[in-house]
Order: sequence, then C-alpha cells, then structure tokens
Amino acid sequence: MHKLFFSFSLVLLLFGCQNGSPEGADPSDQEESREITLYTHRHYDTDQAIFEAFEKESGIKVNVVNASADELIQKMESEGDQSPADLLITVDAGRLVRAKEKDLLQPIESEYLESTIPSNLQDPDNMWFAVTKRARVIVYDKDKVKPEQLSTYEALVEPQWKGKVLVRSSGNIYNQSLMASIIANVGEEQAEAWATGVVENFARPPKGNDRDQVKAIAFEEGEVAIINTYYLGRLLTSKDPEEVEAGEAVQVFFPNQEGRGAHINISGIGVAKYSPNKEDAIAFMEYLLSKEVQETFASANYEYPVNPEAESSELLRNWGSFKEDTLSLSKLGTLNKVAVTTFDKAGWQ
Amino acid sequence: MSKKKIFQYNFSRDFTPWLFYLKAMGIFFSLPILVIGISLFGEVGEMWSHIATYLLPQYLKNTTLLILGTSLLTVFLGVSSAWVVSRYEFRGRRTAEWLLFLPLAIPSYICAYAYVGIFGYGGSLGILGKSIGILIPPLDMMNLYGLIWVLSFSLFPYVYAASRASFLSNVASLRECATLLGANESRYFFTVALPLSQPAIVGGLFLVIMELLNDYGAAKYYGINTFTTGIFRTWTALEDFQSAIYLSALLVLLILLLKGLEKLQRGRKSFETQGRRAEGHVHMRISPKGWKNALCVLLAWTPIGFGFILPFFQLVRWAWLNVDIHAYWDVGSIAFQSFGLAFTTASLTLLFGLLLVYFSQWNPLKSFNFITKLATTGYIIPGAIIGIGLIGVSQYVVDFFDDTFQLKIGFLIYGSSFVLIYAYIVRFLALAYTPIGANSLKIGRQLAEASYLLGKKPLKTLRSIEIPLLKQTLYGVFFLTFIDTMKELPLTLLLKPYDVMTLAVKAFEYADDERVAEASIPALMLIGIVGTLLLLVNTKVLAEDKPSK
Repeated sequence: MHKLFFSFSLVLLLFGCQNGSPEGADPSDQEESREITLYTHRHYDTDQAIFEAFEKESGIKVNVVNASADELIQKMESEGDQSPADLLITVDAGRLVRAKEKDLLQPIESEYLESTIPSNLQDPDNMWFAVTKRARVIVYDKDKVKPEQLSTYEALVEPQWKGKVLVRSSGNIYNQSLMASIIANVGEEQAEAWATGVVENFARPPKGNDRDQVKAIAFEEGEVAIINTYYLGRLLTSKDPEEVEAGEAVQVFFPNQEGRGAHINISGIGVAKYSPNKEDAIAFMEYLLSKEVQETFASANYEYPVNPEAESSELLRNWGSFKEDTLSLSKLGTLNKVAVTTFDKAGWQ
Repeated sequence: MSKKKIFQYNFSRDFTPWLFYLKAMGIFFSLPILVIGISLFGEVGEMWSHIATYLLPQYLKNTTLLILGTSLLTVFLGVSSAWVVSRYEFRGRRTAEWLLFLPLAIPSYICAYAYVGIFGYGGSLGILGKSIGILIPPLDMMNLYGLIWVLSFSLFPYVYAASRASFLSNVASLRECATLLGANESRYFFTVALPLSQPAIVGGLFLVIMELLNDYGAAKYYGINTFTTGIFRTWTALEDFQSAIYLSALLVLLILLLKGLEKLQRGRKSFETQGRRAEGHVHMRISPKGWKNALCVLLAWTPIGFGFILPFFQLVRWAWLNVDIHAYWDVGSIAFQSFGLAFTTASLTLLFGLLLVYFSQWNPLKSFNFITKLATTGYIIPGAIIGIGLIGVSQYVVDFFDDTFQLKIGFLIYGSSFVLIYAYIVRFLALAYTPIGANSLKIGRQLAEASYLLGKKPLKTLRSIEIPLLKQTLYGVFFLTFIDTMKELPLTLLLKPYDVMTLAVKAFEYADDERVAEASIPALMLIGIVGTLLLLVNTKVLAEDKPSK
C-alpha cells in the first residue's frame, strides 16, 4: 500500500516539476524584460529573420506561436482574458474579420499605419491591417494559349476551356476568398453558376497545391490554372531544375483588368483584445510595415508590399503592374461561409 | 462468483483502494472526452443540413473505401512479412526484421508528398529515366487508390509488429503437434498460427484504422474528402464547431461498430496457450530453398522498398537540393525538444497503461471498468477535437483558480508543456492499454495467483513476475508511443507552448507552405532519431531471439 502511494506521489512530483519551473521562472522574467507573444499562421524563415532583427533593434523579445489561423482563433477564444497573445497574424483577410467578429481584437491608434496602408487593406475600425499582398491570377501554357484568349475569371467557363482548367480544391482559403469576391461582385446565384461552369471545364478533379497546378500545365494535363503569384515565384527560384522548368512553361495573366481588377488577398495583423503588451505590439506592427521590412517580404517571399514606398522585387516587376480589385477586404470575411456552401452546391470538391 | 453474491450486492465489502485509483485515473484521462460528450447534448449545428445534403454521402463513401482498401493491403503486407521473418531463415532476414518497423518513422503526409515527388510530373523517376535515355511517363498518385497505397505502406508496421510478436510467442509444442499430424507449412499457417494470432492482428489493424482516420495531410493533398478532412472543413470553413463534433461522434460510432463486429466474431474463444515459448526459435526457423527462398525475400523486402526506401531516397534528394537554407533554426534544439517530449510521454503512457490494466484486474467490481474503456477512447477521436476539448477543460481549471483562489494560473497552463503531455497521454493511452491488456490475458492469472498464495502483494507480484513476462510488450508499447508522439501533429500545433518546437511541426510548416523539399530535413532527422531508438530497442527485444550456446 505504501509503495502505491509512493509511486503515485512520484508521478505527481513528475508533473509538479514540469509545471513548477515555468511558474517559478517566467513571471519574474516578464517584469524585467519586455516581450510580445505573436500568434501567427505565417511560418516562413523570412519572418523568423525579421523577428530576430526586430528583437535586436528594439530589445523586445518576440515569442512565436505557430498554427493555422482557425486553431489560433479557437485558442484565443478559449483562453479569454488570460490569453498571452498580443498579436494575431493570418494569411487571409477572412480570418481577421472572423477574429474581429468574435471580439478577439481591439482597435489601435497609429497614425503611421493608418496613413501608410491603403484604406481597402485595413479594417475601418482599426482592428487589423494588411502586412503583405498576394494576387490570385490565371497562369497559362505559353505554347498553347495566347493571352488574347483570356480576359476574366468569369470567362473561364467558356467552352474553349473544356477539360483545360486546373485549380486546387475548394477547401483552400485562397479559393474561398476568390469566390467571396465573385459573390460580392456578381451575387450568389451567378457565382454558383460560375462555379458549376468551371467544374465542367476541369481538366481533372481538384487536388494538390498551387505548385502542382503549374506542373500539370507543364506536363500538358491542362492549359490554364488559377494560382497565387508567390507560388510561381517559388517555383522559378526552386533548386530543383524540373520545378524551374515547369515554372518557365507558364506565363502570368492578370484577369479582369478591364473591369474590377485582379483578386488580391492579404496577410494581415491585429492586436489581441487582452494583449498584455499593447504598446510594444503596435511598435512591432509599425516595424513590419516599414519600407525595409516590406522590401524583405517582397524579395524573399515574392509577396507584394503594402507600403507604397517599398519596391517590389525584380521578378514581380517582370510580371508587370496590374489593376487590383479594390473590394473592401472585410467582405471576404463576411462572405466566406457563403463561398464555401456555394462551392459545395456546385460540386467543386 | 455465485448467483447469490450478485444479488446480495455489497459495495462496502467489494470496495478496494484499487477501485479508487482506477476511478481517479480513469476520470482524469477521460476529461476531454467527457467535455466532447457533453457538448453532443447541445443542439445540432446550423450547417448540419447542408453537410448532410452535399458532403456526408461523399465522406461516408470515401472513408469506407479507404478503410476497406487499406485494411486489406496492410493485413496482407503486415502478416506476410511478419510470418516470413519469424518462421524462415533467409538472406537479409535480420536486417529486414527491423527495417520493417521503419516506415512508421515517416509521417504519412510526408510519404504522400514523397510519392508525388517520385512518380509525379517532373518527379525523380522521370529524371532518372531521362538521364539514361528512357521515357518514364509520370504516374498519377493523387487519387483514392494512390492514397490507399501510400497509407498502407506507411501504416502496415502496426500489423507487422503485432503479428510478429504473436507468431514468435506461439508455443513450440503446437507447431510440433501440427507437423507430427502431417500438416504442411501452409496448413499450419492457415489453421493454427493465423487463427491463434487473430486478436493480435486485429489489434494492429485497429491501430492502422485509427491512424488512417486521424490522417488529414495526405488526404487533403490528394484531394480526397474523408470524414477527417470533413471535420476540419465543417469546423474551419463552415464555422460550425458543433456540427464538427457531431461528425466526430459519427466517426466514433463507426469505429465502435467495427469493434463490436470483431468482438462478436471472436466470441468467447480463449487464446491462452501454455507451454515452452521463448526457447529454440532459431533452431526451428526453416531455411527455404529455390523459389520459396525468393518468395520470402520478396515478401519481406517489398514493404520495406515501398514503405521506406523509396520515400527515404526522395527525402534525401530533396534535402540534397536544399542543403544550405537552414541557417535560421536551431536544428539540434528542435530535435532535442522532440525527443524529450516523446520520451516523457512514452514513459508516462506506459506507466499509466500498465497501472490501468492491473488496477482493473485487481478491482473486483467489474462494473466500474467502463471507466478504463472511456479513458482509452482518446485514440479514436481526431487529435484536433481532443485538443479543443482540452482547451475547454484547461480554461475551466484556469477560471476556477482565478475565481476561488484569485490565482492567475493561465500562464502556467498555456506556457508549459504540461497540458501538451497530458493531451498526448489521453490520445495514446489506448496504444499502451490494448497490447498490455491483451498480453496480460495471454500470461493468464495462474502465476500471479500462486504468488499471492505465497504471500506477495499485488504490486510486488506485478514488479517481479508480470512486468518481466511482459517485457517484450512493454518495449513495443514504449517504442510505438514514442514514434507516435514524435509524429503527432494536430495536438502539438494546438497545445504546444510558443517556445517548444517539434520536428513534425517544423516539417508540417514547410509542407503546408508548399515547400515540401525543405520539409525533408526535419523529416529526415525524425527518421534518424526513430531509427536509432529502434536499433536500441531491437537489440533488447531481439536478444531473446538469439541462439543460445
């Protein structure tokens, strides 16, 4: 009997040790050194390097929690007012809007952010701001397709593309945002008809990621694909010669230039409602939007900067400038769910 | 137990401390599951009718086909390879015997990417062909059949491990009897060895199905909508957590149905055998000649080739292409953290699994054993759902301390690995409980009862008789839990403190960002650690298998 008690207390002790040490160490640390906790869906090595540079410059330590935005939002919701999160970064506007709706963000005042970032790329209530931009474009087979054949996303339902359209599954957030923007522009009914038309023109059932769609064009499974620009950037700079070759087989086409412009999405950031270190968090946001950091995002990760002063990378400039859809990005969030159900009804897997 | 006793139920007489410990432990590990269960009583989510109309039929169809296909293939691969390495002596048997475990070291979603990297457009196979002047057309892996193939070759070791242990422990006298009665090899296999190993094989298959149902990455990449991808879609895209829980509950029902069928089929048969066990394996291994030898080699090495060697070489090629980009993260510390987490989890899970099995054996009130059942259902619930249930529980605890003692313990809960390790144990307890329970049945109660009669207490008996007899199983359990923790993704993503990083998470981050090639480096480190540990465990486990002079 004693031995059982002994073994149990041993187990308890084991647990005790594990949670004992952070309790003893961390609160005192908190008082001495400044730190911020970042919940982020972005996990690029570039980001890590930028955070480290910020730490050196400001003396504020950056703690990073990486997970998908949905999981992070759920986590913040459960943690409530004891959440350690100061900032939330997502890779799409929709999730920021959702966080805002769930009352997880707080408005901030920063003249720098408000004046630097174009108004459609920030929340009207100052709850979130864009950090980088991505465009979702059409790429086409250089050998088989002439750019004159292409015009808009909507035109992809034309019979000339039967069996030639490549795109990933509807579970992907970038497709959902594109659909949300189409619903915002033409209405739910027509958007569903569009999705049904695209499904009929599919070269194959949706699968793989954006890079795989480009490879499928290179290997002649289809002729046009909907992808994000920075994935093409990655392919073209890949260390695998086959991937570079696949990237070179296609050309970028910015759709809807005569009309509303090409669909763009953002990676954005907001201050958590219960942020313990609000001021440092705002300082961090301003750092991310500075010209130098914006140029790092552009050159290392092929994203478009949102600070108009920052220059985009050479590769991005080669694709040319384009007209953007200036639809308020909040719409992408509010229409996200409708977008998903529309995909389901159209049978877009 | 006589009828009289059942009717004159006397709780205070039958109550033992074991019951108390059992209940305490059982409830402690059932908490997240209870939370999920309670939320089932809430109203059905608003998107449910949409899901039922447009999505559910497809999820059911794909998941069923996936379970069927993968079950057939894993049982074939696992049982045939286990049989040849435990029954025959052929060239390369010893190497094959441990390499057959290694496919487990590659997370299945990485394996899925690797297969596309080999056979897909611009894949390694095509490049290899081009370099020697042969045009090898790309093979489309990204469909249901491809998914079944990839998952089977990456999960069959569960069946292999279980059936190998069972074949090795088959009593020598049974085999002698069969031979004396004129049964040839195949007859002995089909009428004696295979039926005797049924519980083990089914146990292994059960693990395969659980892993398969927890797979998210591979199915998502291949564009196959299954229950698990559906749960995530419902939760994240349709923003309906309630319906996501309902979907998980349906999944749990499906699994309980499968388990029930198996139990019905097994009936009340006993699988306890007595006689000489460990001695003389090697002397009794048959050395086949000619085509039979070739068949043995083929059966043992095909699963290794497709499950390990092929994806491994693809990972090495990717790592080779990306050799210089990893200046930023401290590889050593990530590997160390992964190892530490997995080691702690595996040890604790082993301990609690063992205690649960024996506490319920020592407790005469069998009606309370449902608590153990409940505590070991963690394995059939998708990791992400457990994670969310757990966040709910920890939030409750945090609030409780805040309200009652004005103690802010949020930092403690969210900032340490305590909750993460607890979550791992909840999820993997079945991995320990099931095999330990099965093998303790095989050992039987007679030795222990003799020990009690000689005046030894249950714990003393456990330590000096039962644990040594279970040694092989315990090593196996430790190893499986260790690997599964190393590979675990959804719980780790959700519950890990910011300063903790694991190899699996690092690999996932790259893969999720469409940088599969970069993911190869953490994946290879994971394989390295698992491989080393396997060699260590193997020298222990296989030691009993070596010829004694």
